[in-house]
Amino acid sequence: MSEMDEAIQEFLIESDENLSQVEQDLLELETHPDGSDILANIFRAVHTVKGTCSFLGYSKLESLAHTGETLLSLLRDGDITLTPAIASALLKMVDAIRQMLTCIQETTVDGEEEYGELKALLTELQKGDVAPSSQSDAASSDQVSEAPVDADQTTAEGEQVVNEEPSADEVALSVSPTAVAPVEHASNAAVVEEKKEKAAPSGDGKSQSAVDANIRVDVGLLDKLMNMVGELVLTRNQILQSPMILDDAALQTSSQRLSLITSELQEGIMKTRMQPIGNIFGKFPRVVRDLSMNCGKQIRVEMEGKETELDKTLIEAIKDPLTHLVRNSVDHGIETPDVRQSNGKSSEGILLLRAYHEGGQVNIEITDDGGGINTQRVAETGVKRGVVTQDQIAKMSERELLNLIFMPGFSTAEKVTNVSGRGVGMDVVRTNIEKIGGTIDIQAHLGKGTTFKLKVPLTLAIIPALIITTGHERFAIPQVSLLELVRLEGEQIKKFIDTVHGASVCRLRGTLLPLLHLGQIVGLDVKESGSKNPETMESPADASDAEAVENVVNIVVLQADGQRFGLVVDEINDTEEIVVKPLSKQLKGVPVFAGATIMGDGRVALILDVLGLTNRAGMTIQHTENSRIDQLEKGFDGIGSRDTLLIVKVGETGQLAIPLTMVARLEEIKMAALEKACGKEVIQYRGEILPIIQLCDVLSYQGTPDADSGDALQMVVISHGQRRIGLVVDRIVDIVDEHLQAKQGSTKPGILCSAVIQGHVTDVLDVQQLILDYAVLPAEESVEAFIEDPVGEFVGV
Amino acid sequence: MRALVIDDSKAMRIILKQILQSVGGTSVEEAGNGKEGLDKLKSMEKPDVVLVDWNMPVMNGLEFVRAVRGNPTYRTLPLMMVTTETESSQMGKALAAGANEYVMKPFTKDVIQEKLKILGIK
Repeated sequence: MSEMDEAIQEFLIESDENLSQVEQDLLELETHPDGSDILANIFRAVHTVKGTCSFLGYSKLESLAHTGETLLSLLRDGDITLTPAIASALLKMVDAIRQMLTCIQETTVDGEEEYGELKALLTELQKGDVAPSSQSDAASSDQVSEAPVDADQTTAEGEQVVNEEPSADEVALSVSPTAVAPVEHASNAAVVEEKKEKAAPSGDGKSQSAVDANIRVDVGLLDKLMNMVGELVLTRNQILQSPMILDDAALQTSSQRLSLITSELQEGIMKTRMQPIGNIFGKFPRVVRDLSMNCGKQIRVEMEGKETELDKTLIEAIKDPLTHLVRNSVDHGIETPDVRQSNGKSSEGILLLRAYHEGGQVNIEITDDGGGINTQRVAETGVKRGVVTQDQIAKMSERELLNLIFMPGFSTAEKVTNVSGRGVGMDVVRTNIEKIGGTIDIQAHLGKGTTFKLKVPLTLAIIPALIITTGHERFAIPQVSLLELVRLEGEQIKKFIDTVHGASVCRLRGTLLPLLHLGQIVGLDVKESGSKNPETMESPADASDAEAVENVVNIVVLQADGQRFGLVVDEINDTEEIVVKPLSKQLKGVPVFAGATIMGDGRVALILDVLGLTNRAGMTIQHTENSRIDQLEKGFDGIGSRDTLLIVKVGETGQLAIPLTMVARLEEIKMAALEKACGKEVIQYRGEILPIIQLCDVLSYQGTPDADSGDALQMVVISHGQRRIGLVVDRIVDIVDEHLQAKQGSTKPGILCSAVIQGHVTDVLDVQQLILDYAVLPAEESVEAFIEDPVGEFVGV
Repeated sequence: MRALVIDDSKAMRIILKQILQSVGGTSVEEAGNGKEGLDKLKSMEKPDVVLVDWNMPVMNGLEFVRAVRGNPTYRTLPLMMVTTETESSQMGKALAAGANEYVMKPFTKDVIQEKLKILGIK
């Protein structure tokens, strides 16, 4: 880099820092209009930009800065006073200068744009109070201030300013040996330079340079250090696991020391990558100011915990989601002043940004005291947009309804504004937060306000993970996505795993959990492929064949993107803190892997990308979501909505549909197992007496059971609460996902209606009626035994 | 010629350093503000000329000039103030405080060369 280039780079970095400072100072000035020190700061910053660019030949930039400077000097000297219109114009100037800087960055010249209009406005404003009244009304409405507690910290500590200089070779991070310092401006590439301490409004303005205590460090170097420390940690682990250590007392002592030092070094390096969340928070007052002005709202921004630190990568990752949430709160959350007043609130809305550490994670809350969220409207919109069905809405808790706003394609904005409400966003917010292993939750009180609560990890470099084995290879699963581990043995496998639409599912406490087989996904030949192949589970008969081969199934239950699924693995090993290594270019495109790590024994384990797996499981999950067994409570009132139906043949011609939600199990029973109790047909089923209904007889269909089936009977076990019955059918045909439309009312007791399903006229079974007519409540004892069953038998739960 | 450049903008320092080197500067030291400038002045070999910006945080150019002139060692040290036209009206103060010369931004190599000549520095 030539010296001139270097000067230009420095100029870009400095100017950006200066502009960030100017921006903050202008906002602060609106709250404390008497801050002459602040004005002097602003003046000097603009002045410096102008002074330097004159040497570099950026005449357009110089001219604009000059116009702004003249206006500022009048303000500084008290010839005119700061009006919202002036502040707005100056902020616009900051934006324009930024644009020019970007232009210089990209093209080395300050662009064609002359900003004549802006310059004219700045010149006009030099004459004093000429602010258009409408603008001043709107502008005076939004004051931006910080929470008192925060202001105290600002005076107590130094202040860092980060800017948005994206140039790779100049990008640097401030390494501060002193404690946390609040940072006021966000960055994506992060040049941090210690600025002189800004006098607080009431402060004495005494400032001190912290240049001696801080140095700039190249981010690339920090990354490299981080990487090397990771290697060191792994090597340390290998040494600690070496059996040689146990033989030698001296070696043992020094290896312990090595261990300790490594841990401390790792911690230290990780700290250097930490940046205060104030980096992001700092830019929100401006965002809110501009937005609220547009919407004609009055909003005050308050901040708490700006000094809370996060890894730089995470800071960058949460910047956009947070901005979106803030914009959302301003646009949809906080009401217009007149609405607020008529609701008995102060006309000024409050947007509180809060960050704090909790349990090794960082919690971030964005709270507004606006109108909250009308779940009724959310539900209506959800149905209208096809995100959910009316049926599903009815079963949803308030919380679940609120979470609908994170569904793709959802927006409650009644009109599309230029602020938000484009119908994209909240789902992206959630995806982005989950990508970094975070979670997002929402709390809303109608009329009182909304809180978005984010939890994000402190760092992504070292994470707790579950180590599993499949096909003799080890894989790591980040623990944030892990819900539970399920181990099925012998009989249970058959009982719990089924096939729906050709995909295997596991029945887990009343829900169908889609299963993915890791062995198949990563293409590793699994030795015990028996029951892991979904095709072998097509029918109960096949499943029992496979049972001999397979006697243990390990399922890792994972959650990402709001969807749960089970991952079938060979072995579950242990949980470990792993050092995340990025994948090389060749593997980066593979969506199921998030990275790699090196295990204590020196071997590599790939880290699974749970979100990527979810997408892979996507289709399956969509299907099974509809077939939650707890739809039982609802019965089958929801005709007209989409339902998963079990299609069975009864007699020669009869085709029946049974809502799958009511179906507990499909069984094959021996004719000989049929017994009589109280004159009715029953069988012994799982230590209970199960009433049997021969559908063919009850519904008087033509024909007799197939002769081929010999003495085996196909039985559909139906359950409702604690009542269960077995329906004997001739053949299980299929499971379909149908939009049921009754074509004909019922003409027969036991039949709800008739519909056309897959080209066949199909009678829909009135399961509730059948249960009422035939099912018998189990005796007290069996009820208790049933409830206590620790396996969580899904049947009849 | 040994020189000390005091400016809060690193970009400006680079530019000034470059200009000074092109007119015969052999060693050019830098400082980010007046206070740092004073420290630097004490630690370095006595320079032939000091270029100091007016507007700086912590200690501005005017304060620096006063502080330097207050020290008998530097009573004759050639001081050149670098400034912009908005401060030119205040240049009287700077000269009164003891600055030898002032240069207005933006300037060219020739201007610096001429000013150095006036101050008798080679």
